[in-house]
Order: sequence, then C-alpha cells, then structure tokens
Amino acid sequence: MRTLRQIMLVEDNLNDIDLTLAALEELHLANEIVVVRDGAEALDYLYCRGKFAGRTDGLPAVVLLDIKMPKVSGLEVLRQMKSDPALNNLPVVMLTSSREEPDLAASYALGANAYVVKPVDFQQFVDAVRQIGVFWAVVNEPPPRNTGN
Amino acid sequence: MLILLLTSAVVMLLMRASFFTYEYLTFRRETVRQLSAMGEIIATNSTAALAFDNRDDAGEILGALKANRHIVAAALYDSNGRFFAGYPANRPPAPFPAAPGGEGFHFEQSSLSGFQPVIQGERRLGTLYLQLDTGIVMREWLWVSLQIALALMAVIVGVAYLLSRSLQKQVSQPILALAETARAISERKDYSVRAVKSGSDEVGRLTDAFNQMLGEIQTLNRDLERRVAERTAQLETANIELNRSRAVFESLFESLPGLFLVLKPDFEIVTASDAYLKATMTTRDDVIGSKLFDLFPDHPEATDASGSSNLRTSLERVLATGTTDNMAIHKYAIRRPDGVFEERYWSTVNSPLLGVDRRVEYLIHRVEDVTDFVRQKPFTSGEPAELRIKMEQMEAEIFQSSQKIEASNLQLRSANAELEAFSYSVSHDLRAPLRHIDGFAGLLEKSDGKQLSERGRGHLAHISDSAKQMGALIDDLLVFSRMGRSEMNLGPVNLQQIAEETIQTLKKQELAERSVNWKLGSLPVVRGDRPMLRQVFVNLLSNAVKYSRPRDPAEIEVGVVDETDEWIIFVRDNGVGFEMQYAQKLFGVFQRLHRAEEFEGTGIGLANVRRIITRHGGRTWAESVLGQGATFYFSMPRNREIKS
Repeated sequence: MRTLRQIMLVEDNLNDIDLTLAALEELHLANEIVVVRDGAEALDYLYCRGKFAGRTDGLPAVVLLDIKMPKVSGLEVLRQMKSDPALNNLPVVMLTSSREEPDLAASYALGANAYVVKPVDFQQFVDAVRQIGVFWAVVNEPPPRNTGN
Repeated sequence: MLILLLTSAVVMLLMRASFFTYEYLTFRRETVRQLSAMGEIIATNSTAALAFDNRDDAGEILGALKANRHIVAAALYDSNGRFFAGYPANRPPAPFPAAPGGEGFHFEQSSLSGFQPVIQGERRLGTLYLQLDTGIVMREWLWVSLQIALALMAVIVGVAYLLSRSLQKQVSQPILALAETARAISERKDYSVRAVKSGSDEVGRLTDAFNQMLGEIQTLNRDLERRVAERTAQLETANIELNRSRAVFESLFESLPGLFLVLKPDFEIVTASDAYLKATMTTRDDVIGSKLFDLFPDHPEATDASGSSNLRTSLERVLATGTTDNMAIHKYAIRRPDGVFEERYWSTVNSPLLGVDRRVEYLIHRVEDVTDFVRQKPFTSGEPAELRIKMEQMEAEIFQSSQKIEASNLQLRSANAELEAFSYSVSHDLRAPLRHIDGFAGLLEKSDGKQLSERGRGHLAHISDSAKQMGALIDDLLVFSRMGRSEMNLGPVNLQQIAEETIQTLKKQELAERSVNWKLGSLPVVRGDRPMLRQVFVNLLSNAVKYSRPRDPAEIEVGVVDETDEWIIFVRDNGVGFEMQYAQKLFGVFQRLHRAEEFEGTGIGLANVRRIITRHGGRTWAESVLGQGATFYFSMPRNREIKS
C-alpha cells in the first residue's frame, strides 16, 4: 500500500501561503501539506531537529521552495539538500516571484527539479500550483524512502 | 701578610697552651719536691731540739722559715704526736692539726700541706708539719709565665712580619707582576709581551705557562689577522669590481636613449637617464634626491595639464598592485630651468621593481616623448602656425573628453550594478503584492461573488485586471532592463529562420480566426545575439499583427533593403498606422499612440527593439501614413565586428 507523503511548502509570505493553500485545496489532495516559514525551519523539518525533533512522518513527496526568504534563502536550502546524499533525490520545485536569470541559473546549477515563476494572474497561479501538485504528488513516482530517515 | 701573622700567632698560642699545661704539672711536682726537701732539712735540724725536748730551739728552727714567705704554717710534734712547736710562733696552736697525719704532702684548696717524720738513726723523734700557700706561688708563677708568653708573642709576630715581608718579595711580587702583565696585554692587545720569570719555583712555572699561553694566543692572533687581511683584500677587490660594474651600469642606464626615472616609493628621484634630463631640461644634480612632484608640478594656469595628477594616480596604482601601469599619451607642462612651462606629449609606462619580500622597492618611470610625433604627424611642412595651434587645442580637448568619458564609464558601471540589484528586487518584491491583489480578488469572487452586485463584481474584475496589467508592465520593464544589461553572446544568426519561426508561433497563438497574408523576403545571416534578435522579430511582427487587426485580410511583409555598409530590414503592415509627427515617440519606454481599449499593450516592445538593435550597432526608425499602415526599419552592420 502506498502511504501518502506530505507536500512541503517553504514560504515566508502569509499571503502567498494563503493563496498557495487555496490553490492546492482545489485539487482535493489527500496529502498533508506542511508549511514552514523560512529556510532554517525547512532544514530543521527535513533533518527532524529543532522544533521538529522527534518527527516520525518521513520525508515529503515534494518541496515547494521560495527563493527570497529571511535567514536562510531558498537557494541555500537547495544547496544543502542537494549536497546531502540523504536528501538529494527529494524533488524540489522552486516556486518564486523571480524570473531573473541569476536565480534560474543558480537553481538549476544546484539541482532544482523544476522552476516555476508565480504568475500575477491568480487563475494562472492556480493552474500552475495544480499542475505541480498533480504531477509531483500524484503522477510522479517518488524515490524509495531513505532508511536513514 | 696578615694571614701569615695570624697563623704564627695561633700556632704560638697553641704551643703556649700545651707548654703551659706541662709547666703547670712540673711546677706542682717541683713545689712538692721543694717542700719535701725543705721538710727534710728542717726535720734534720730539729732532731736535736726534739731529742733534748728544747722547745726554744725548735721555735728558732721553725722561725727560720720566715725566709720563705710561701710557708704560712709549720709545726713540730713529738714522738707521741703531741704539739711541740709552731710557726709563726705567735700563732695559737688551734689552727694546726691536732695530731700528725700520714706521711707525705697533699694539695688542698690553695695550699700544700703535709707531714714529714723527724728521724735520727733508727729512732723516730717526732713529726714535722708544713703548710705552703700555693696561691701566692701560683700567682707569681702565672705572672712570670704570662710575661714570658707576651714577650715570646711579640718576638714571634715581629719575626713573622719580617719573614712575610721577605716572602712577599719572593712569591707575591712575581704573581702581581704576572697579573699586571696580563692586564697590560688585554688592554694593549700586544701579545708579544712576556712576563719575566723570577725563579724556578711554582711561580716560575706559572709564569712559564702564562708565557706559553701568550705564545699560542699570539700565533692564533697572527693567523686571525692574516685571514682578516686576506678577507679584507678579497672584499676590497669585490668592492672595486662592484663599483666598477655599478659605474658601468650607471653610465649604461644614464646613456639609455629612452627617458627613464627611478623613484623610491615616496617618489624621491634616485636616478635619471641623460635623455630624461635633456627632455626635461634639468641636470642630474637638480633632480636626484628631489621629490618628483616638487620638481614637476602642474602648470599653474594650464587647464589641460592634468597629466601630473594622473601620473600620481598611475604611480600609486603601481605601488598598490605591484604591476606595470601603462598611461595614455598625456600632455605635460614641463618647467624648464628658467621657470617657463613647455608642453610635451609623453607616453608613459610605470613599472615596479620588487624586492625579495615582493614589495615595491623602486618605481621605474619610462617615458617616451612623442611630442614631435604628435605635432608633426598631421602636418606637412609649411602648415600655417594658426592651424597648428588649433590642432593642438583640439587634441587637448579630445584628451579632456576622453578623460571625462573614462569617468562616466566608471559611473555607468556602478549605476549598472545598482540597476541590477534594483531589478532583482523588483522581480521578487514588486510582483508579489500584485499577485496577492489578484489572488485575493479571485478568492473573494469565488467565495462571495454571488452575494456581490453586478457592479461590485465589475469592480473586482477591474482590481484584478489592473493588477495583471501592472504585473505585465513590470515583467516587460524587467525584460527591457535585462536587454540593456545582459551580456551579448555573439554568433551568426539566421534572420530568415527566426522570422519563419516567429510567424509560425504567431499563427498558432492568435491568428486562428484572423486572415493574414504573409510575405517573407530572403533575410540575411548576421552576427548578433540570437535570443535578442528573436525578441526583435517577435515584437515587430506581433505589433504588425495587432495593429492590422481591423483589416481583412491583413497584409504583412518582411524584407530587406540591401546596402553596402549595412543590412536594412523592414516589417510592413496595412494596419491603422500612426501620425508621422509622433514617429520618434514610438520607440520610447511606455510610449503609446493608441488607447489601451483599442490596442492592448504596455508600450515597451518598440523600446526593446531599439535597445537591442542599438546594442548590435544598428538603427531603428518607422514610416507611416495614418490609416494606411506602417513600416518599421532596423539596420544591422555587415562585414564588420560588432562592439558588445
């Protein structure tokens, strides 16, 4: 039996969280959606430390990662994830406002699995989130669970 | 000497002490013997008195003891042991022993006393008692003994003193002389001096050893001196050689045809070549040791003689980086010894001379005087002086402008960096609130849309549209900004292919229900940035499609006007056109000649086209007759490298 893994949203902006959750709601996904508010929290969650110490629900199916965040940026989270053998096959979708080339280049260089620019148009945004959700949480077959986590 | 005296005194005292003990014992024995002898004499003399019981005679005999003042008491006892006579005569008998004791004398506290039998033949007639006061005897004896001791001591100390004096002459003097010699040698460093030997005893042997050591030192010293002299000679030779080669190099350096200065890091002039001195009309004595900028200050009046400050900048750059710095041809106002400034054109290279620690020890300032070259190049002989002066002025102006351009370049670079940061921030932070506005407007519409009035829903739609419109503006602006900033990747670009692809895309996107007649001429392959040139075609062709919307069929033609120096490419449509008086406005940012309700758009497309074409070294312009269509042109340089 396939257990449902969480969808992890790393986003500092409350409005964006509301809108993304609203968009995901429309999908009626059964997956739990975990929201963390910056890069440091994201790493704490993934490594089950800090306030997430003792967490036993494993790694998420996909990480939706904002780039511009306080403390630890999305690019830094991505770098740490992709340089850790325990996390490097966890799919990461960069979900950001920026279409700037340096962000794109850096994200792909660090091994991002996808890069989605949040459209200003809400309907387009809903579509984009829906596609991400459907693809990564439903269509895509995730890598086998790491025994270490 | 003091030691000698003390030693003899101590020895004497010890000797005296033992001698005294011996004398004391002898004295006691002698006293007993004397007393015993005296007792025998008195006993013998007393026989008659005792025999005849004549006490008077006995008293007289005993009274004779007065001659010996040491005898304090004497007594005679008859054969029955009864007191017979006493001495002193007036002394009462009580203190005498009541009856005679055993024969022999004994020391008591301060006296010696005892009994002596009085015998005649075989018959014992009585007993004699004698008491001697030893205290007096002892005192006398001690007094004599002390006198002897003192006298002896005086004699011995005197003798010891005399002896030590003569000994000092024999032993101490040679040692002192030796010490003096050693001191003199160490002061004068004269190892040829020898100590005089005064005998063959220990001191003599010491002197021998000392002299032997001196001999060895002298040998070593001589060897050392010889080696020092050799080394000094070598050094002198090397020094002479060094000076000679230094002189050769100096004169070599000085006679170099180029203009050279060697400076210390504080710009003090170390040396200069003859050519430099000649060119600057100075002498070597004038310049060496002077500070460069004291010697060659800026011309007080000249506005274009800013060369020195640039020279300073250049030299400081060399000091900071430790690498050679080439300066552009500069005009310098050189002050001649008579104080008059003369203008010279110099091409300058400043190089560092690095020390072992990689720090700049000297600066080599090499100058090529190109004044003649600069002045004569544009002229042939017989040029009017006026024209020549004018040319010089122009050159100075050009030089000034080039400096200004350099400065603005620097400003531009920093402005560009700021723009980069700005547009990054815009991209992240400015789009977000718009997204939120549209997002929440959408959510509101979805959740409560039915409760809103028709008018309310219209407002919500306007909020949404405005947010989207602003989002589009920001996106376009970012693209426009990127077009101006991003690096150009130059390569051959087939414009024909790009045009075809763009037309295909447009057809798919929005032309399903439109009827457009496309006419595509043959376009060249140019050198440029492919994505940028694609953007040009997308913008121009979509504009043509957009503004020909009222036409059916629309006609759009893409073609080229071949010219010698550049390609001129055009996009022509039969659309609404524009009034020519606004033609220049078209290519500005956010400039529109139509209302948004008529034709959508942000007004940035043509600005992008102009920016891209300008960066490719080309030009853009447009022609139109209102209501009859418009033609947009751009040029691309051909057979020429494009500056990026």
